[in-house]
Amino acid sequence: MTLTTLGESLGADVAGHVSAASVPPARPRRRRSSTGGGLVPYLFLAPGATLFALTVLYPTVQAFQMSFFDWKLVASASKFIGFDNYLRALQDDHFWLALSNSGIYMVFTVVPQIVIGLAIALLLKRKSPTQPLFRVLFYLPVVTSWVVVSLLFRFLFSDAGLINFTLGDFLHLTDGSTPWLADRWTALLAICALGVWKGIGWSMMIFLAALQGVPAALLEAAAMDGANRWQRFRAVTVPAIWPALLFVTVMLVIGGFNVFVSVYLMTGGGPAGRTEVLLTYMYKQAFENLDFGYGSAIAVLLTVIVFILSVVQLRVFRDRNGEGAL
Amino acid sequence: MKRSRTIAITALAASVAMLATGCATADSGGGSAGDPVTITFWGAYGNGGNSAQQDVLNDTLIPAFEAAHPDIKVTYVDVPYDDLLKKLTTSAAGDELPDLVRADLGWVPKFADLGVLVPLSQAMPDFQELADATFPGVLSTNLWKGEYYGLPLDTNTRVLITSQAALDAAGLDAPPATFDDLEKAASALNGTGISLFADGGLGAWNISPWIWSGGGAITDDEMTTATGYLDGTKSVATVQMLVDLYKTGQISNGITGNAGAISTAEGLPNNTYATIFDGPWMTGIWADQFPDFAPIYAPIPAGDGGSVSVVGGEDIVLTATSKHQEAAMEFIRYTQSDDFQLALVPTGQLTVIKALGDKQVELVPFLKVFTDQLATAKARLAIPQGSQVDTILNEELVPAFEGTVSVKDALSKAATRIDELLAEQ
Repeated sequence: MTLTTLGESLGADVAGHVSAASVPPARPRRRRSSTGGGLVPYLFLAPGATLFALTVLYPTVQAFQMSFFDWKLVASASKFIGFDNYLRALQDDHFWLALSNSGIYMVFTVVPQIVIGLAIALLLKRKSPTQPLFRVLFYLPVVTSWVVVSLLFRFLFSDAGLINFTLGDFLHLTDGSTPWLADRWTALLAICALGVWKGIGWSMMIFLAALQGVPAALLEAAAMDGANRWQRFRAVTVPAIWPALLFVTVMLVIGGFNVFVSVYLMTGGGPAGRTEVLLTYMYKQAFENLDFGYGSAIAVLLTVIVFILSVVQLRVFRDRNGEGAL
Repeated sequence: MKRSRTIAITALAASVAMLATGCATADSGGGSAGDPVTITFWGAYGNGGNSAQQDVLNDTLIPAFEAAHPDIKVTYVDVPYDDLLKKLTTSAAGDELPDLVRADLGWVPKFADLGVLVPLSQAMPDFQELADATFPGVLSTNLWKGEYYGLPLDTNTRVLITSQAALDAAGLDAPPATFDDLEKAASALNGTGISLFADGGLGAWNISPWIWSGGGAITDDEMTTATGYLDGTKSVATVQMLVDLYKTGQISNGITGNAGAISTAEGLPNNTYATIFDGPWMTGIWADQFPDFAPIYAPIPAGDGGSVSVVGGEDIVLTATSKHQEAAMEFIRYTQSDDFQLALVPTGQLTVIKALGDKQVELVPFLKVFTDQLATAKARLAIPQGSQVDTILNEELVPAFEGTVSVKDALSKAATRIDELLAEQ
């Protein structure tokens, strides 16, 4: 079936979303069938919506319910305990340590990913023979498995790894025996380095797409008015890509708080739980200690934190750029 | 119109097909009357790709059992060890457990407490006879609130492993047999670039052999309190010895949780470490990766408490949801037989039957040290919160090794936290 005939079949409302080049113009609108036309879109949506309900909505509601119980695998043995799991979390030093580590990871990965991702996008926006190659190279870490790169970084930052070899034997900056993964701060540094390296390509791609929409006429006009490169970037480019900037920031903050695989595989939350983040702590409570009620409460708290942060970001961005930006 | 209807039908068919695919489950219903019953057995014999044990089970042991019991069929399902606990947990929640599970011995109290296991000491009339034949250390891992919820299936323990190169560097003729020997070896190794000892953490699996061999204890015999035992004089003295060795660089920082430390499996053959504690499976690992390396096995160095190691291994448990409990118990009996136990010895499984120790050593001579060590080996705390005990020990002892708190304070704090877990029982 061609795109055109599909457009005919589904009605003119669908044709409106198809590129103008592929849809014959000036066709008279057909009246939608009063019997079956309204059902068709829902039938197409049904599989995805059902899967979403089964795999996302239902577990979410179930986890919320479990957070109010001393949950046992045998449901009849579970006991309703109200907000006890939440109070326990608020009094749990390890919860706060995990939350602070998640926050540190979020801050130290989101900002570099935005700044470096945007810088690379600006560089790669220019036409050059090597541009496609560099786009692929920068994007390659994004499509590489988290498991693979986490293990790779664990080896890079191990006592006898390449980082110590480079700093010690090659650059002579250290004695080459830094135990990166033995200390909370150096281990978090290694985990953040992985997060930034793997995420830059994604933000770069979003910014590259957004930069295509920056009006060339405005940039030229600004240049003619004497604006230098920085002024053109600040006054023309940034406002034009503001929605993309908002999208990238919100998504990266959510992703930052959801860090799990890299921590789990690089340090396992160690040493002595000092690099635990919220999701690894939740995972251990639920699947190692079988304390599903407490694990669910941590998951709900994480959801609330991420939701509040997202709303705050949306408001901040809207206030800075007006309603139209959103 | 006709086309619209076609699309609608196509969409509906796609929806139904997708849901049907997603919701389809294997029908595990039994056959009609007269057919053999099928029991399902989950385990991690596959060891993440090493199929030697799984092959013996599938090609020799299960066929032999089925030949002797034509009315019973056994389906073994191999699950990677790292996924097994998760799979058991979710299956227990969904009432989808198999009939039998080869469970890590630390999981038995956990699942017994959840009420998903059958107490074999009640269900099997001949339980006591079977239990008496096994090593007491590994049998005790099945005990939960006065009942035994499983029988030992296979076992292992940790012994000291060293190399000739390390002994030469330390000026020793034989592996260190006592704590004093260890401390002397540490002095001799100073400046050689070889660390005396390495381990991968400070959990119960790691620290218990030291504390027990030093004459200390984790709790009282009834498992009611850790205070006065874990922080008793002998426990403190033993851990202090380790801390002193750590501070002089004679113990690798892998013990305090450095995930980037050279692993014990690599550090011993490479002569980075002089000694480690580990199990019989290392022989196979080294045979693949370091074929020229000849490990030397010796008992855990003895302190005031003698040479005492920690029991590892697996138990076989029967689930409460099993529809074929009699058939499953018959298979459990078979796992305790000489045939079953000895067939797995050449694949690296130690027998749990005391009387088979000599035959085991005849089959695989290097297992002698492990077999002897098992005679005195003890089990870790058999409580549902075993993993939390490991977390507590790591969290409290690491600062002591780093020198930010005293050993006595660290052990007292750990004991207090373990007491809270014991109080929940």
